[in-house]
Amino acid sequence: MRIDVSKITLANGLDVLVHEDHRVPLAAVSLWYHVGSKNERPGLTGLAHLFEHLMFEGAEHQPSGFFQPLQEAGASLNGSTSPDRTNYWELVPKSALRLALWMEADRMGWLLPALSQARFETQRGVVLNERRQNYENRPYGLAQFALMDALYPDTHPYQWPTIGRPADLAVATLDDVRAFFTRYYHPGNASLAVAGDVDTREVVELATELFGDIPAGPPVPPVVVPPVSRVARRLQLEDRVELPRLYLAWISPALFAPDDAALDMVADLVGNGRTSRLYRRLVHDRRVAVELAAAQGSRELDGLFQIVASAAPGHSLDEVEAAIYDEIDRFVDDGPTADEVAREHAQAEATFVMRLQSLGGFGGKADQINAYNVHRGVPDSFDADLGRYLNTTGADLAAAAGRWLVRDRATALAVVPHGRGDLVIAGADRTPVRVS
Amino acid sequence: MTTRFDMPVVGPALQVRFPDIARETQPNGLRVWAVPLPVLPVVTILLIVPRGSADDPTDRAGLASVTADMLDEGAGMRDAIELAAAFGRMGTHLEIETRADATFFSMTVLSRFLEPSLALLADIVRQPRLAPADFDRVRDLRLSRLRQLRQLAASVADRAYVSAIFGDHPYGHGSLGTTGSVEGISLDDVRSFWARQFGPGGATLIVSGATTTSDVVQAASVAFGGWDATPEPRPDDAAWTVPPPADARILLVDRPDAPQSELRVGHVGPPRSTPDFHALITMNAALGGQFTSRINRRLREEKGLTYGARTSFDLRRVAGSFTCETSVQADATAQAVADILVELEAIRGASVLTTAELAQAQASLTRGYVRNFETSAQIARATAQLAVHGLPDDTFDRFVPEVDALTAADVHDVAVRALSPAKATVVVVGDRALVGDSLAALGRIVAPVTVDL
Repeated sequence: MRIDVSKITLANGLDVLVHEDHRVPLAAVSLWYHVGSKNERPGLTGLAHLFEHLMFEGAEHQPSGFFQPLQEAGASLNGSTSPDRTNYWELVPKSALRLALWMEADRMGWLLPALSQARFETQRGVVLNERRQNYENRPYGLAQFALMDALYPDTHPYQWPTIGRPADLAVATLDDVRAFFTRYYHPGNASLAVAGDVDTREVVELATELFGDIPAGPPVPPVVVPPVSRVARRLQLEDRVELPRLYLAWISPALFAPDDAALDMVADLVGNGRTSRLYRRLVHDRRVAVELAAAQGSRELDGLFQIVASAAPGHSLDEVEAAIYDEIDRFVDDGPTADEVAREHAQAEATFVMRLQSLGGFGGKADQINAYNVHRGVPDSFDADLGRYLNTTGADLAAAAGRWLVRDRATALAVVPHGRGDLVIAGADRTPVRVS
Repeated sequence: MTTRFDMPVVGPALQVRFPDIARETQPNGLRVWAVPLPVLPVVTILLIVPRGSADDPTDRAGLASVTADMLDEGAGMRDAIELAAAFGRMGTHLEIETRADATFFSMTVLSRFLEPSLALLADIVRQPRLAPADFDRVRDLRLSRLRQLRQLAASVADRAYVSAIFGDHPYGHGSLGTTGSVEGISLDDVRSFWARQFGPGGATLIVSGATTTSDVVQAASVAFGGWDATPEPRPDDAAWTVPPPADARILLVDRPDAPQSELRVGHVGPPRSTPDFHALITMNAALGGQFTSRINRRLREEKGLTYGARTSFDLRRVAGSFTCETSVQADATAQAVADILVELEAIRGASVLTTAELAQAQASLTRGYVRNFETSAQIARATAQLAVHGLPDDTFDRFVPEVDALTAADVHDVAVRALSPAKATVVVVGDRALVGDSLAALGRIVAPVTVDL
């Protein structure tokens, strides 16, 4: 599954990646800035994400804002911020490729003159409402905040939520935003990918013309990562929910590190979908749980392996937790069956092919090429990435689960309905968890 | 002379040419539609059975979707887990979705699995086990899901809104049913619903992607050729009287201490078959269908009261709805409701679309239209619209010229006809103690309601 990607680096440090795919007359633009909430500091959390909002408010030569010219050109567009990176994309009819690149170049080079106190304050309000909508006013919406807060020390870059703490957002200033832009939003900290019905030479010329005169920025300061305690915590959180839910979380390998792909497969076999061991036992056979999911969430500095299950009415989280450890033990001791491994390999192959159907958007080809370039330095890593899955054996899976999913290292969080502390897990710390 | 800082100009919209659909009808009445595409080695399979939650018996809301849930809990030689494992060995899983007008079975698989995946799908619709132990579990899972939804403000708002605008109409309930209605559903109900409503007559199998028409026809014949059930005829659509817009009321669902209020504002609307289709879509794009639309601009980009606000027409087979939906910070609830109503009124008269707004809406829709036809799944979904609504094959090819041809008068007329802000139902799921008084000051009756979930 070779994907031809041309890569050049402009004199100012901008990586330009081009992939031709002439199936449909579209062009996908993806621009990654290698900055996320991990680059923030306590007291000023949420800045990377708030900044992403401001990138859509228009730059110096965009009097009608960022959205309008692109929408009028038939684009769909969006952006997102994670702990590790911020990405922006436009999917356009191919005749609008120049416009999309021009718009991105303008906000990379000329955003600050268009920033105003009014735009800043409005978007701060929007972000606070995004936080209310997606976290505060949503069942279990604060669970991940509580987990990160418990798993990491206060100065660890993954300790705070990407959306930010309201108190920090309240004290952020326009000067903070300007400094953030100067430090992180420049060609040397960015990667531009274009995929679609385009000509590689033309795209390189366009990128050189439109981005080449943006000055290289300062080197990005390294992220300081304090040591993480492996001491397991047991926590409870009361929330506006109906059913008690258990979160089990382990610090796990970083993206592309050894065991990352294996744990991704372990998550499927143990806790995703009807064929998973926990579904069969907890939901199908014994009916003690009603919702179940598992994931290896891998990031740049480390990963987080999580198993999440809601107890069925009349059943306890302790029952659920005991069954989870029991199934992990069995998986480690006996290993997966040949059929389980075959299914995981089939799933990997199908997923990798299907992901190549979309040029743009989150997870489309341009976005994937950028992810590989930013995290591995090699934009065409499709085969290498798929190989991580296809070359993993059943013995590898059992060994990875044994190394990482150790009971004594699991941090457990029970989310229970308000006033129902009686539904919490055994041994939970009764002090309220921090969820800011 | 242009400089580096002049915004580039883009070309006209590309004319969309939808791929040819090869059609064949099996002797048992199943329509088989193949849409070969020059894409990666994958196919999307979509089976549409034209029965949905609108076919729920009045005292069994949720029956269609519980039945759908039961179909893949064991069929033919396989139990629920074995079925899922069989799909898993092909790297895929089956999605079953119950909508008001139809039930959709869909999956995307590597092309080499076309035959075995159709065979599994055929087992599921033709020979489901519908066994008691599976039914108990499925019903319990549904009851738990409904219970969980009680705390999800958006689901509570949707439920209150649909009941309010459609009342006793078959569209007036959620596809999941309510705790009460699901508790009243028996396995016999499910067996009977399946026997009476599922059959090849009227159903459509769509396969799009890297395949040939003959392969699709052949594989479909092997899998579905022996399907001989005869569903009951569907009740006459004309018997479904769509209620007139209700009196303008504000229905307030109390959610103490909620930091935001979830809002729905709107009323019943036209069906998909409306001749106004293109004018509606275009008017909506300017009003609330896009990021730069009037309502999102006002509530989010000017005031920062919400993460986003949008409007949409849900155009179903027999009727539809027009809805503005958003979630706003609690202390701005009444202001947001007032702003939405002002915008709905404005576009009908006080502040009709400017030439520039209309041109922008047309340009975004026509230039962006080609984006809708990139993947095999998108093509299958588009083809499904033709099947569900009986639309002609040139439906998608006509979109760009039809939207381009619209005049300001066309769009204004449709706003006047299709929007009724004076009679719009408003649903607020929020903190009654905080927002009740300010809502009452809007001059509409505020009715506290509870939601049946």
